[in-house]
This record gives sequence, C-alpha cells and structure tokens, in this order.
Amino acid sequence: MTKEEALEALSSIFAEVLDEKDIELDYQMTANDVDRWDSITNMTIISEIESRFNIKLKLREIIKLKNVGALCDAIVSKSK
Amino acid sequence: MEFLSIPFAIFIVVVFALYYARTNRRWQHFMLFAASLMFIGYYHIVYLAYAIGIALFTFEAGKLLHKNIESKWRPWIFTISIAILVGIWLTARYASPLFPLGISFYTFQALSYLIEINWEEEPEDDLMDFMLYMLLFMKFLSGPIERAYDMLPQLKEKHSFDYENVTAGLKLLAWGAFMKLVIADRIAPSMNMVLNDVHLATSAQMLQATLLYPIQLYADFAGYTNMALGLGAMFGFRLSPNFDRPFISLSTGELWRRWHQSLSFWCRDYIFTPVSAEMRRWKKWGIYFALLVTFVTIGVWHGAGWTFALYGLFQGLVIIYETATKNGHEHFRAKVGDRVYRPLMMIRTYLLFALSLLFFRVSNVSDVFYVYKHLLDFHINDAKELSLGLNDNQWIAFGIAVVVMFVMEYINSHKNIIKWTTTQKAYVRWTLYFVLVVLIFFYGNFGVEDFIYIQF
Repeated sequence: MTKEEALEALSSIFAEVLDEKDIELDYQMTANDVDRWDSITNMTIISEIESRFNIKLKLREIIKLKNVGALCDAIVSKSK
Repeated sequence: MEFLSIPFAIFIVVVFALYYARTNRRWQHFMLFAASLMFIGYYHIVYLAYAIGIALFTFEAGKLLHKNIESKWRPWIFTISIAILVGIWLTARYASPLFPLGISFYTFQALSYLIEINWEEEPEDDLMDFMLYMLLFMKFLSGPIERAYDMLPQLKEKHSFDYENVTAGLKLLAWGAFMKLVIADRIAPSMNMVLNDVHLATSAQMLQATLLYPIQLYADFAGYTNMALGLGAMFGFRLSPNFDRPFISLSTGELWRRWHQSLSFWCRDYIFTPVSAEMRRWKKWGIYFALLVTFVTIGVWHGAGWTFALYGLFQGLVIIYETATKNGHEHFRAKVGDRVYRPLMMIRTYLLFALSLLFFRVSNVSDVFYVYKHLLDFHINDAKELSLGLNDNQWIAFGIAVVVMFVMEYINSHKNIIKWTTTQKAYVRWTLYFVLVVLIFFYGNFGVEDFIYIQF
C-alpha cells in the first residue's frame, strides 16, 4: 500500500466516524484542524483503522502520532 | 508567602533585581533555585523537605529507568517508581497531619516526567534545571502543572532582561489581581455564608450561591494562574495556560478542554488515552469506561471523600451522555440554528457545571442533596436575605467587574490586549494602568482569602 492509498482510506474512516461526509484530509492536519477530532473520537478512529487494515498499533505509537501524515506512515509500514 | 502580600512583594523585587543583575545562566538558575527554596520553606520546612525529596527521587528514578530502557527490569523500575510517588502523595494527602502545599501539582509533574521517559524520551541530566522544573516558585503552590518537555528547553535558553516581556508579565499580574481581589474575594464571604453550612441558608440563597460559585472559583483560580503566568513572563518563562474562556463551552466535554487545562490535559494524555487504548476492542463501552476512570481521577485529585469522587463522576456521566447523544445534538442544532443552539447549550453547560461544583464545595454528600432538593423552592422570607451580606454598591461593583472580565476576555480572544497596549501612546497606556490599579484598590476586598486551589 502507498501513502496516498492510506490517506484515501483514512478519509473514508474519518468521514464515517466524525460523520462529516465532505472531509478532506492532508498529511499536515492535526486534531486542531479537524472539527470533532478530539481525544474521544481519536480512539474510535484508531480502532477502526486497526480492524480495517488488520494491523495493531502499540500504545506508544498511538501517543506519538502527531498528524495525519504520521498516521498514514504507520498504516503503510504496519500493513506491509 | 501569598502572592498578594507585602513579604511577597519585597521578595519578588529583590529576586527580580538579583536575577537580572547578571545574565549568566548558572547565576540566574541559582537565584531562582534559592528563591524557590525560600518561598517554599517560608511556609514550612517540612514542605521543603517533601518537595526536594520527591524531586531528587524523580531525577534519579528517571536516569535509572532510561539506563534500563532495553532491559527486562524496565517495567519493574517504572512501576515501582510510580507506586512510590503515588504512595507518598496519597499518604501526605490523607494520612499526614500536615498537608504539604503544592504536592498534588508537583507530584503530577514528576509522574508525567517518568511516564515520558518510559515512552522513550531522554531524561534531564542537569540536576539544577530539573529542580527548577519541579520547584519553580511561581507555579509551586497551584500550578500550572508543567510538562518537562515544555519547560526544560526554556531553562536552556538565555534570559536577558526584555522590557516587553517584563511589562507584559506585570500587566498579566495586575489583571490576575483584579480577578482575585475585585471579583473572587468580593463574593467569597457571601459564598462562605451560604455554602459553609447550607442548613442555615434559605432556598433563594442556595440558588444564588449555586449560580455564582462557578464565577468565584473561576476568578479565583484563573486570577491565580494569570498571576503565576505573569510572574513567569517577568523571568522570561512561558508557563502553560490553564483557562480558555470556559463559560463559552457548548458542552461539558468542551468545558474540560477549557477549564484547568494543565490538569485535564494531563489526565487525557496519561490516563484517558492509555486506558481507552487498552479497552478499544470494547468499542464505545471502552471509551465510556476510560472517561469514567479519567474523570473520577480528576475528582479525587482534589481530595479525599465521596464528594470529590462524585464531582468527577458527575462530569464523566455528563460527557458520556454527550458522546452517546452527539447525533441528536447535531440534529437539534440544524433544526433550531446556531443563534438559538449556542446560547442554549452555553447556559445548559454552565448550569450543569454549577450543580456539579456543589460536590466540590459543600462539605458532605447529604448536604449537596439537601441543596438539590431545596434549590427550586423559591422561598423568600425577606428580600434583604438576597443581599448575602453585601450592600447595593458592592453588588453593582461586583456585577460590573464580572461583565468587564468577560468582555475583556472576549476582546482578548480576537486581539491580544496586552500587545495592543504596547502600540498605544503613553498617555493612553498610563491612563489604563492607572484605572486598573485604582479599581483594584477601591473595589478590591483585601486580606480575606487564600487562593482556593492552595488546598489541593
């Protein structure tokens, strides 16, 4: 999987979890830039990602995720 | 040494002059360290012993943990260090005859430091810098609870006298004093009259006190925080903000992102995130559970007893309710429009917070339920009882001060007021400063109250 494909898949997960159909993600985005992406919805997004890509993130990895780009990188490297 | 006292005023002038006498980093750190020891020891030598002991322990534990980060001993070292810190904190909190001031604040800083090292951050190797991170006097008593990796880099910087920084700090200090003396302390005796023993109060008084207590607590704690941040700026430090206009929140969840931020973000990062991550296969139930654990912890952080646990539980349950009914809220918002929705939700959030704060303020659970039961009796014997011991002029001054506070905060959210004053002509600036100081001296209520959060 490429980073671009991860971003695309991520956009659909975000749209679903945050209930925002027209959401447009880019790599630099953080929780501050996205309405309703907060500490509560974040964990729902993480568990959705894990089941969709069949990967497992460690607590430390979740905590160190700084933005959408880092999340995409994690997905790409884990699903290899 | 209270911030608002003559000894502290003398202390700060002397420390300030010595601090900037030489801009050598070693000298400045030595001055800050000596000042912090004096500040803490002035209260009680035992407080100083606790603070130094915990700081030294954390410093050494951090180094040991880092050295063993790849070894099988790592979980042991980490768990035992955390258990020791929490154990000392709980013992001091609940079982010692003398409660060491500031301990809840600096213990949480120590815990965050060790957790970050366990998450593979580098430990600090300069003992003096670490001691300052733990004990710096302006944030010692009631926070903000700083993060090592925000604060330590600032301690590596050079701090030469910067006129703009120092005057900005002084202005914030004066604004904090205004919030404390003109708003919080003006209303404090009235709140005490009703809330210290609710059985002596009438239902109308209980309603008044319930509605006004959030404002007292806010002006008191945010006033303290502004003073701490202002003092920090005078010495070249950027301490963490603790409040961001909490009463404009549209939900309790949002309120906790705006209220006592250094504590709630601490609990978010070190309790909510790990617990919810651990429980994430339980989907939303895992999140609800993590919310309850987090907010009950925030509650009991304040002290022993069921009241504080229930204070936290109250927040947790409301936030779970909000999370579960989010779609309904959005639906309602779309139907009535933002002009109706926003004020309605602000009022709702404020009222829920006011009701929850009774657990925080009233001394036992049955008294809180007594207040709930009689809150809406609307029984008044005599209109005079509504004065709560203040005369009309005092109420008017208090009311105007509250409005001024909220309006200033509104303006400040669009345009930094302190920065703005620096661009004004001298006569405009000095008129403003003069008015603020005169207001504090004329309308402030001096020498009555400690800061509320000093007890935690």
